[in-house]
Amino acid sequence: MIGLALKMLFGDTAKYLMLVFGIFFATFLILQQLAIFCGLMLWTTSTLKNVNAPIYVVDPQVSQVNETTPMRDTDVARVRSVSNVRWAMPLFNGIQRVKLDNGAFKIIQLTGIDSASLAGAPATLVAGKLEDLRLPNTVIIDELAVNFLSSDPDKPIKVGDRFEINDIEARVVGIAESMRSFTGGPYVWTTYERALQYAPPQRKMLSAVIAAPMPGVTLEAAAAEIEKQTGLRAYVNRDFSFDAPDDFNTKTVFWFVKNTSIPISFGTTVIVGLIVGIAISCQTFYAFVLDNLKHLGALKAMGMSNFRLSMMLVIQSVTVGIIGFGIGLLATAGFTFSAIENGAPFFMPTIIPFAVFAAIQLICLFAASLGIIRLSLYEPAAVFRT
Amino acid sequence: MFSKILRYGTIVAAIAGIYLMVQALQAQTKNQPVLGGDPPVMPPAKPFKQSVAATGILEALSENVAIGVPLPGLVTEVMVKVNDRVKKDQPLMKLDDRDLLAEQLSNKAQQEISRAQITVSEAQLAKLESQLQRLNSITDSRAVSRDELENRRQDVAVSQAQLAAAKAQLAASETAMERINLLIERLTVRAPREGTIIQVNVRAGEYAATSPKSPAMILGETERLQVRADIDEQNATRIRAGQAAFGYLKGDPTITFPLKFIRIEPYVIPKVSLTGSSTERVDTRVLQIIYSLDRPKDLPLYVGQQVDVFIEAPDRHRKQ
Repeated sequence: MIGLALKMLFGDTAKYLMLVFGIFFATFLILQQLAIFCGLMLWTTSTLKNVNAPIYVVDPQVSQVNETTPMRDTDVARVRSVSNVRWAMPLFNGIQRVKLDNGAFKIIQLTGIDSASLAGAPATLVAGKLEDLRLPNTVIIDELAVNFLSSDPDKPIKVGDRFEINDIEARVVGIAESMRSFTGGPYVWTTYERALQYAPPQRKMLSAVIAAPMPGVTLEAAAAEIEKQTGLRAYVNRDFSFDAPDDFNTKTVFWFVKNTSIPISFGTTVIVGLIVGIAISCQTFYAFVLDNLKHLGALKAMGMSNFRLSMMLVIQSVTVGIIGFGIGLLATAGFTFSAIENGAPFFMPTIIPFAVFAAIQLICLFAASLGIIRLSLYEPAAVFRT
Repeated sequence: MFSKILRYGTIVAAIAGIYLMVQALQAQTKNQPVLGGDPPVMPPAKPFKQSVAATGILEALSENVAIGVPLPGLVTEVMVKVNDRVKKDQPLMKLDDRDLLAEQLSNKAQQEISRAQITVSEAQLAKLESQLQRLNSITDSRAVSRDELENRRQDVAVSQAQLAAAKAQLAASETAMERINLLIERLTVRAPREGTIIQVNVRAGEYAATSPKSPAMILGETERLQVRADIDEQNATRIRAGQAAFGYLKGDPTITFPLKFIRIEPYVIPKVSLTGSSTERVDTRVLQIIYSLDRPKDLPLYVGQQVDVFIEAPDRHRKQ
């Protein structure tokens, strides 16, 4: 039966290709759009990924990580005074302007970290030494900045090069791996004290306090304790999760989902992909069933049950679904590799291919069910009439 | 044949797609930064279960003396170097005293004049006295009129007064000289007490101002140090006199030392901010606590270093 079904399917190459193409197209469109959406949303939380800290303590008015409402310097000591806190360090975070040697201006994400502990420093350096950050007028840039801040495309910035942040010299002592920021500027790390010199003076400059819980205390318990003792807002820094209201990643992503039209744009494309997939595959499969109605009718006349005939159609549509989905994965994988290469916003949570696979199979089963309805209405005797 | 290639081609492509997607998913997770982990230099462990954290600064015991100058002026000589031990009243530096030296010169001339004046007056007096004596020696009262004799007597008295005035003039000049010497002496700044010079901000040739913000030198006792800890006013209610405390040197959390409570400063002061902007408004005040510490034998500690201080203090009583 399976062999017969597949023989029937592959027999009509044009229809088979059309079916596979429809499924491939839908798969690729949906996967790629969802992954770009997830990638963009991930970029909005890049500060949380690049500044390595388990707990972020911010002003109660702050609703996402890219917002800063400065706090007072002594708030660091207040957070440090909470019993459940292992350590607490100041953090400066803000967008600053950089002047290149040809006079052009670029924006950067300036991050100021505690000079003694270097808490919040980038996790991986590709060049240079983290400890050199304690030298005067030094910064660590990320891999994006290597080309972004260079005036000559042939001469990327290396360790030892200089540029100006708000008219103050900055010497590069390290290059770090980092995630791109939503605003497009590269990350530049320096010490907290120096960041205050680079940034234009304001009444309060402390963007956040980063902290870690005592051993044996959960992040959530420590964050709750900090909120109770200081009245500030403490967020934990874990990965995005739907059931973590205290997670800064989740909070930030939902802020962007709520306050920007990004999900509408991507959602529309995903729906278009689904509709195109349904339309092409249903229409083609129905035409395929109609074409093969004679043979199916003959089988029916020979005494094959409706159930077995339906299973044949289901096998055919699911086969098309799997092959089309596989080719869609091939294209998406190619896209993923090139996105990783070029630093485009692209992130594919593992659940998405499975979810899309289920959706595609549902489309195929729907198309099969249309064929099944048509087939069950077909009289076996009609075979002999023509 | 062609359709066969197509058929198997699509199947191969699909299998390759699944394989490559698994690879791509692994590649992208490898590309994500790793979260968690300790900071590169682990901050000091808290010494107490419940504590108030503060930032402090190392000072010389009994506070640092910002040496001032009596009046703004040019520095001509600096007699001490940083790290010099000085005794009480040891000269530290000299200010430009040439204007006073010039005054001294004119004063010396004035004294010469006064002395000459005295000599003149003395000569005058001697002359008048001898004239009076000659008239007195004439026994015949008809030879000299009474009027003439009285005039001569008065002349002698006037001349005596003139001599006294000239002497007073000299004495005044001499006193003025003493005053000038005292003023010159004042321009040599001396150590108000025993100690070590911790900082020298002026060099010969520079202008020393009287502004208290930029002291010319700082004198302190570096053998024993004290820590001045700033505590946010919101945590001030948790502080009691005599609570145990530990200090950690900023920059090297492995250096730790116990602190001995001295006193709580009774006046809560505005926090000195790091931004240093002169138009800064104050929004936090800090309670200052003074702790003393013995200089550890093998640890280099310097006055002015920042210290992280943890003070054992119970958590604030919370409403349930």
